[in-house]
Amino acid sequence: MILNPVDTILTFVLLSVLFSFGSSRLPMLISVVAFQGIVVSIVPFFLGHGMTAGGMTFTIATLLIRGIIIPMSIYIAIKKVAIHREVEPIVGYHASLLCGLGLIVAATYLSRQLNLPSISNYTLLFPTAIALLVTGMFLLMARRNAIAMVLGYIMMENGIYLVGTTFSVRARHIVEFGILLDVLAGVMIMAIILQNIKRTFDDVDTALLRTLKE
Amino acid sequence: MVEIIFIVPFITGLFAFFVPKQIGRPLLVFTGAIHLLLSLLLWKNRPEAYFSDYFAVTPEGLLSLLVISLLFFLISIYTIGYLEASKIQAENIFTGFMLLFLSTMTMVTLSDHIMIMWIAIEATTLTSAPLIYTHRSGASLEATWKYVLICSVGIAMALLGSVFVTLAMDIGQVDAPLSFSALTQVAKSLDPLWLKAGFVFILVGYGTKMGLAPMHTWLPDAHSEAPSPASALLSGVLLNCAYLGIFKTNKIMYAAGLNDFSSLILIVFGLMSILAAATFILKQNEYKRMLAYSSIENMGIIAVGTGIGGIAAYGAIICMIHHSLIKSSLFLSSGNILLGYGNRLITNTGDMVSRMPKTFIAFFSGFAGISGFPPFGIFIGELFIIVGAFRSGRYVTIGIFIAALCVIFAGFANQIMKISFDKFDGTIQIKEKASMVWPQYILLLTSLIFCFYMPDTVYQTIVDAVTAVGGGLR
Repeated sequence: MILNPVDTILTFVLLSVLFSFGSSRLPMLISVVAFQGIVVSIVPFFLGHGMTAGGMTFTIATLLIRGIIIPMSIYIAIKKVAIHREVEPIVGYHASLLCGLGLIVAATYLSRQLNLPSISNYTLLFPTAIALLVTGMFLLMARRNAIAMVLGYIMMENGIYLVGTTFSVRARHIVEFGILLDVLAGVMIMAIILQNIKRTFDDVDTALLRTLKE
Repeated sequence: MVEIIFIVPFITGLFAFFVPKQIGRPLLVFTGAIHLLLSLLLWKNRPEAYFSDYFAVTPEGLLSLLVISLLFFLISIYTIGYLEASKIQAENIFTGFMLLFLSTMTMVTLSDHIMIMWIAIEATTLTSAPLIYTHRSGASLEATWKYVLICSVGIAMALLGSVFVTLAMDIGQVDAPLSFSALTQVAKSLDPLWLKAGFVFILVGYGTKMGLAPMHTWLPDAHSEAPSPASALLSGVLLNCAYLGIFKTNKIMYAAGLNDFSSLILIVFGLMSILAAATFILKQNEYKRMLAYSSIENMGIIAVGTGIGGIAAYGAIICMIHHSLIKSSLFLSSGNILLGYGNRLITNTGDMVSRMPKTFIAFFSGFAGISGFPPFGIFIGELFIIVGAFRSGRYVTIGIFIAALCVIFAGFANQIMKISFDKFDGTIQIKEKASMVWPQYILLLTSLIFCFYMPDTVYQTIVDAVTAVGGGLR
């Protein structure tokens, strides 16, 4: 079987997913998220939908926002405060890695069952999307560091975007652009909150956020 | 041109960031008045949207819009007094985001395109987050963090659900615009499996925002930490906006003949919310959190009613309207209590009946209304839901429903009695100004009037809205 370019680059994303399960340092995790952002935004290029001028501009805008602006804003937000900190795992790295492997197997199995006509030429598209989504959720739940949680959210959004590449055929770019702007604004607000958390509590460990609970 | 109604608050909101508070406060009321006027005009004329691919005037949207307009106008009047009495840094940011929040919520009520709906609902999260952080304390920071993170992740699920709906179109080989109204017409040819998956994800996603258990954890924190006018908006109208997303998707499900599936899920989530509220309201020691749990309860009631269908769906819409009116009045009154006693804890309040008599009247009648006493509308709504459940033979559901409502009433009444009649030795820190009690009276009065006399056009709009999900006064 000859792999097409989409599957080839998605293989790297799957590897980066595994990497993010095991990585303990925040800067590393940010670069992983940036890499995934770049890949998911260029995938529609290779899917063979007719590329119009509007489509090109939109892809470049997505690339800029997902691959550069969003990771950069997180990086800048934490530059002074917690750059060399660990992600404070609730589930350990080895156990996380095992979860990651299991997840990729499950995602591949699931996407074989689903039998989606529109993306059937691209074996890895759906498994990668599911893997990104679940990894994002995993990071949200299994890491106490607030920055790692935001990165998990971004990873989830990347995964949804990848599922949505089938959707992008029918949607107007203005709609997709709206979604992108919302995500961007959301991450910006999270970055501002991160800075404030750091200033108020002198740390970004969410275990400190415990005053409001029943 | 329908779109002007959310463009106006958007522009004034941006403007409000750059003006001092002497201009910002009147601007808030002024925009509220214009908004109310515009939505009344919209009710009367029902024009076509300019961008008809993305926006449409629907009966359920009209109902929410009217509630939003009326509430915002009254809340903006209250806000002036509140801002004078409380110390808020950077007031222009508060006013600006209040207006942007209004704009995004209006956009939700008018959106017809599935993705525009998502964009608008996510935008409500982003514009309301700074409101919760207004007091700049550690606790409010924590509430904001939880709110933004939980709601963004939840709403991301709704985006995934919306994408699944487009997959259902692909597989069913449907070529239609991606709007709720178009999809409702072609619902039969959508792929049922993916439509179901889409509905579940959309329900979980918007359900997070609506405050359905077990995704409700952000709600009590956000409602208790936000300044009271913002809490009133969050509880009174934001939750309805999220419900609108679920309601419109349910319309597609009903048209596709999958309403058994969607009813079951709505009822399960609804009952879970009512039970969660019942558990937490009993031992609650902060009055604003107690009101927040009551909102979770009412959202549960609305979900159950929608799920049962028939006359219960009509009851759910009645509950939605009256919950907005009564709950926002309660949150505004709780603002007076907070300013007067300077404390959030129920144990540090008391004797409100003689210390703050005007607020007491509003708060106590609000309590009577929200717990379903006859002269207020929630009573009628809940009655319809119970009748509807008996008609469709859902005895277990309604058994749990009624039992939980009794528990909630007991817990609620206990706390309200403490606030109203317990001994209190301290001093009250504010005077009860007219502008800080009349908005509550008007809200409660509106609820009262709607209970005895409902204009024909409102009645017809409610019937139009619920017919699409298999409801009606039959």
